[in-house]
Amino acid sequence: MSQLAPSLPFHRVNILTGTRTARQVEDPAEYAKQITKAQRPLLVLGPRLFQLSLGGKLVLEYALDIAKAKNIPICATDSIKSKMVELGTKPDSIYDAVEIANALKDPDWKGVRKEGNHDLVMFLGIRTDLGEQSLSVLKHFAPHLKTMTLCKYYYPHADFSLPNIRKDEQWKNFLENLIDHLKKGG
Amino acid sequence: MAEIKEITKKLEEIHQKIKAEIPWEPIGHTPMPDIPDLRSWDMKLLQTYKPFYAPFCDLCCFCTYGKCDLTEDRRGACGIDIGTQQARFVLLACLMGCSAHASHAGHILEVLIEKHGRDKKIDLGTFVDLEAPNIRTVLGLKPETLGDLETAIEYVYKEIAHLLDSTHMGQEGSCLDYESKSLHAGMLDHVGMEVADIAQIVGFNYPTSVANTPLVDLGWNSVDKTKPIICFIGHNPATSTVVVDYLQENNLYDKVELCGVCCTALETTRYSARAKVIGPFSRQLFFIRSGFADVIMTDEQCIRTDMPQEATKAGSALIAALDKAMYGLEDATDMNTDEIVKKMVEEKKHFAILNPKKAAEVATKVAMAIAPQRRKEWITEQEATELAKKCSLCGMCEQVCPNLFDIGRGISEVAKGNFDVIREIFNLCVGCGKCEEECPRNLPIFKIMQVGASKETWKIRAGRGPIMDTEIRTVGAPITLGTIPGVVALVGCSNFPDIRDLAEIVDEFARRKYIVVLSGCTSMAVGMWKDADGKTVYEKYPGDFDAGGVVNVGSCVANSHISGAAIKIANIFAALPLRGNYEVMADYVLNRVGAVGIAWGAYSQKAASIATGFNRLGVPVILGPHSSKYRRLYLSRKDEDEWKVMDARKRQIVETSEPSPEHLAYVCETKEKAMVMIPKLCIRKNDTPQGRAIKLNHYISLYKKYMGGDLPEDLHLYVRRDPDIPLVYKKEVRAYLQKMGWKPKEPVGLPTLIGTYPTKVPLDSVIH
Repeated sequence: MSQLAPSLPFHRVNILTGTRTARQVEDPAEYAKQITKAQRPLLVLGPRLFQLSLGGKLVLEYALDIAKAKNIPICATDSIKSKMVELGTKPDSIYDAVEIANALKDPDWKGVRKEGNHDLVMFLGIRTDLGEQSLSVLKHFAPHLKTMTLCKYYYPHADFSLPNIRKDEQWKNFLENLIDHLKKGG
Repeated sequence: MAEIKEITKKLEEIHQKIKAEIPWEPIGHTPMPDIPDLRSWDMKLLQTYKPFYAPFCDLCCFCTYGKCDLTEDRRGACGIDIGTQQARFVLLACLMGCSAHASHAGHILEVLIEKHGRDKKIDLGTFVDLEAPNIRTVLGLKPETLGDLETAIEYVYKEIAHLLDSTHMGQEGSCLDYESKSLHAGMLDHVGMEVADIAQIVGFNYPTSVANTPLVDLGWNSVDKTKPIICFIGHNPATSTVVVDYLQENNLYDKVELCGVCCTALETTRYSARAKVIGPFSRQLFFIRSGFADVIMTDEQCIRTDMPQEATKAGSALIAALDKAMYGLEDATDMNTDEIVKKMVEEKKHFAILNPKKAAEVATKVAMAIAPQRRKEWITEQEATELAKKCSLCGMCEQVCPNLFDIGRGISEVAKGNFDVIREIFNLCVGCGKCEEECPRNLPIFKIMQVGASKETWKIRAGRGPIMDTEIRTVGAPITLGTIPGVVALVGCSNFPDIRDLAEIVDEFARRKYIVVLSGCTSMAVGMWKDADGKTVYEKYPGDFDAGGVVNVGSCVANSHISGAAIKIANIFAALPLRGNYEVMADYVLNRVGAVGIAWGAYSQKAASIATGFNRLGVPVILGPHSSKYRRLYLSRKDEDEWKVMDARKRQIVETSEPSPEHLAYVCETKEKAMVMIPKLCIRKNDTPQGRAIKLNHYISLYKKYMGGDLPEDLHLYVRRDPDIPLVYKKEVRAYLQKMGWKPKEPVGLPTLIGTYPTKVPLDSVIH
């Protein structure tokens, strides 16, 4: 799962000092396969989604398309709830990143749809240093689940991460291809 | 039998130290507590507010058996697991912070005892009889003289040594016990800070028993650049006060400009209203590199470690005035004054001078000698544009920025003659200088940033010291009943995501009639913002500890007056005895005093210990996104946890299902989220229906303002009965409650945790 030669994260405040680092994935098909394989995936969306857009479309809209493609429950921060509702989707739960990480640590937690704790948690739209801390919590204290990041930076503490992507066009292509793969069944 | 004898002997020693024979109050259950004495209280807190660790590192690197990999449930060679390792790290951070304040306290006490004698009376003015709430509560000692403060600081030193010992390899194997020790360190920190500030108030004749202290100038532009400039950096006023005296004695007071960065600046303005505050720590490197200071005098704590190199680059002279940071400089304490001055002026040498009088004389003479030859001007827009053209937009500056800014974009816009982006970035800059360090083209980024730096001058209210007993008598009832919706204490350093955040928070809550209290670098940052009428929050709001007041207590060590105010409410208003009675005070604060701390930009380890001390006293703390990097929060899970308290009137344990306060140490990613968490964390089970309705009114309206138009998702947890619902939202909230299947519940008459866990404190102790 993990690889020995780590990439450097884009923001150097997140440089890994340790032994277990994220698997860098560049192929959206592989991400789609992992998401499809999961029994109870969860998508965690943070406040930066308010500011980010790709080709005139909010990154939040890409996130909602990912969730819709596989009926993935969404946990969002309070701050983006109203925008989500405006876009036609109500989040399944409202938590900050640390609160959801705190709940996910508990293997007996019932999850946001009360169907059992999640086995794959995807993160998008949290500032990189705070997101990295939540990923570290789950890496160390939630061995019962895997983590995946969808932001355009490399996150060492995740299980699966995108590489550092310099060009937004490349990130946009990745997200669009991921959505296509998910729609086709992964 | 032998054990009883030993305990008795130990108690006798404690009673002797705290002058037990003076019967100002009965002695409580834990005078001068050792590590285990408050452990049950800590464990009760930690049962609800469990530690939440975010390890930066997978490894432990503390001993020669390591490095040890602690991932996937592995234990290190000594047996430690990753949670316990994190807890040990947190304890070390708290001890660094606690010992910085304690050492400051010990040093300043020694200086002031030498000046005034051990018998110098502690007198904090007409309106402060309860002079040392932390010392009285923790030790059981009522300090009457400077000499009495020695007993308090010696106790702190002893406990620090015990705590530090526990971080040695091996030994402690429980993260919860490490947390209990961190809480102990935090509590000691408030004692140490109180010793320091009482000594300073008494010894330096700082303002006390007054609310509206002078408004002093804030900002680099407040300094008269035509005069010689001496800049103090750090925390300890032992040197800066002597410089003020020297200038006055030698008729030079109006010929030399005195200014400061970080807490020494606040201390100096408490001694001399003529001194200027440059700004918080985040502006330290920027100001040094501006070259405006002719002489820089450092003392201790929050000072850069590369000060000699930076001073040399800027052409400033440097004097290291305290032994904590001597930078490898030659110790000139015993050297002839004229010889030192000559070497500093002609050879541009820096020195350590540990005699304050000599340091003051040298600083003045050197500043006056070199100032006329030095150029003190901001870079012009044209010069900045030329420099910025060298930027290759490689992006390295953005990658190393701890605040994650795209600095390169700002620089490239300067190259085009657009200064708006760099102006915006400057407000977000935390002043670490990593961008410049990393730049492959060696661009002087801070210099270029000068074109984006505001040239305004602001006002800050000089630190006022303790909250007056008379003020507590006025606000005690409204705070505990909830009709003053809360006390919001903004403390700590300036590692903010945006320097403007805090002034906006202060303005929002002062306008809503919360009591807003400030200290340290935060109190400076708050002053660096003006409203549409051109007023800072210090000019806009009164300095009273009352509804709608904005109170600057002073420097870091003045944080003890904020915890002290919470204790005073329990003691003066609720008439609960405080002497050696920490558990009773903390239980009262947790359940009845709607106070919340905000460490929005914690950087120094002192912020970790200050916050942890507030936590043990029952005050929840909100951290900014950087502040959480001390790796530990205290979080509850509101839907899963029990929220049982004892109803002391009925003597029954009741399940309230009300998560108040919800967390004890919480991180907010954005200012908007903090705006919503603050009113929520001020809710207490003791609120009257009227008070609860006021608090919920703010919670709802702030939620609607900052999070969109809906009601908060957890609102139903905080409504006990219909009268708790704010009038203005009655219809909407009733409909929401019906949808949630809400059922009314009885408010608790006298909520307490005493009686819900094993403790020596009887239930009667909390009934007043």
